[in-house]
Amino acid sequence: MRTIEESGLSTWLRESESPFGFYFVLLFHTFGLALLVGASAVIDLRLLGIEREIPLAPLKRLFGIMWSGFAINAASGVLLLIAYPTKALTNPVFYTKMTLIGFAVWVMTNLRSRVFNDSTLSEAAMIGRGRTLATWSLVLWVGVITAGRLLAYTYKYLTFPF
Amino acid sequence: MNLAYLHLVLNHFPIIGTVIGLGLFVVSFVGKNDDLKRASLMVLAAAALLALPTFFSGIGAQRAIRGDPAVSAVLIERHEGAAILALFFMEIAGALALVGLWQRHRVSSGKARSWNSMAILLFSVVTAGLMARVGTTGGDIRHPEIRLAQEVTGTRESGLSAIVHVFEPSPGKFADLVLINKWWWAFMMDLHFIGLALLIGTVGILNLRMLGFAKQLPVAPLHRLTPWAMGAFGINALTGILAFIGMPNYYAFDVAFWLKMLALLLLGLNVAAFYLTDAFRSVEHLGPGEDAPPLAKFFAATSLVLWFAVIALGRYIQPFTDTLSVR
Repeated sequence: MRTIEESGLSTWLRESESPFGFYFVLLFHTFGLALLVGASAVIDLRLLGIEREIPLAPLKRLFGIMWSGFAINAASGVLLLIAYPTKALTNPVFYTKMTLIGFAVWVMTNLRSRVFNDSTLSEAAMIGRGRTLATWSLVLWVGVITAGRLLAYTYKYLTFPF
Repeated sequence: MNLAYLHLVLNHFPIIGTVIGLGLFVVSFVGKNDDLKRASLMVLAAAALLALPTFFSGIGAQRAIRGDPAVSAVLIERHEGAAILALFFMEIAGALALVGLWQRHRVSSGKARSWNSMAILLFSVVTAGLMARVGTTGGDIRHPEIRLAQEVTGTRESGLSAIVHVFEPSPGKFADLVLINKWWWAFMMDLHFIGLALLIGTVGILNLRMLGFAKQLPVAPLHRLTPWAMGAFGINALTGILAFIGMPNYYAFDVAFWLKMLALLLLGLNVAAFYLTDAFRSVEHLGPGEDAPPLAKFFAATSLVLWFAVIALGRYIQPFTDTLSVR
């Protein structure tokens, strides 16, 4: 942790006065959140029964947006971790968040492969298969956001304490 | 241009807006004029939107005259308490007005519409009264010529103002309540982020479809996601206002915060222009595969850009704290 923290990139991200430092990475992390969770929420809520007149099959296009959001957040997340490795790695909430992301992405790939990739399915069949996954998707993404927010309030050490 | 100046420029709009909105609303009922009713609802919604920067700039005005021996801190606090109470009623009235505009559009049940009309009438009448109180208590701060002798200390109230004063929160105590512990604060911020995701998801898919993304989707049912976006915006407006009341000095002197408010006002204009020009009618019944005209695409693109600007500016509030000078 100390090695990462003393590296040039980590120090620059933490201490730079430039508006393109830490907060720039953070804003991309929030853009990614909006794309990933926003698009997921629309698919999930539709599968759970809102606005039945929205045809389900074309919503498949939203997976592209969800994966772009995920890619932005994986990249910006790594940079945030490089900036404050001790803050994250000494906090159990961080590992909870990673676990929840793992499950949420697993649910997302399942939604795609089992519900949206089979173009022979009727809408009723898609909903039948997708309902439980959609519920889990909503719960898990809300959990991920909550854990991410808590990271700002629950850390024990901001930087390496010794 | 400073925050005190901004406060003085803005502070008549919510008061006059409420009175005009309420007046038109009543006249529209008496004259059974539906277009007038629509106009009155838009005026109330606009007044509620403008009330936000008016309220937020008050802290700057306070700091600008702080230390002036002719100014009573007690009177400022009384004005701020009155403003907090009026703001909540104004925002509820504005939210109900938006619901009313949506109901007109959706032709929902007559019963729901008349309940909503009753609620709008009630809340805008109360708001107008509270706004009058905000105006007079604010005027008392700087205009001794209209101030009654017993009011100089601000502790003696008579008649109706005494009753209203009981319900006016003390700004300091309200702030303590918002900041009561970090878990409550974390919960509010969590809601703010969940609201953000829901808002961008529901608004974003409509905007993207208008721009030509996933053209197999018909526009009408996507547009019916609007109440979800309104609900998400409501959550974020509430948690945002509470956060401001908790730490006013943290937000009020931050240039990113004010640019975020500017972007929100522009979004208000964007929504109004979308519905009041031909743009909405031109996309309302767009079926699968059909392309939106350029004007609608323009509003969709500006909406997306502005919403992402709101996110970005919100994230820059912390490093830019204290970027604005008081005078």
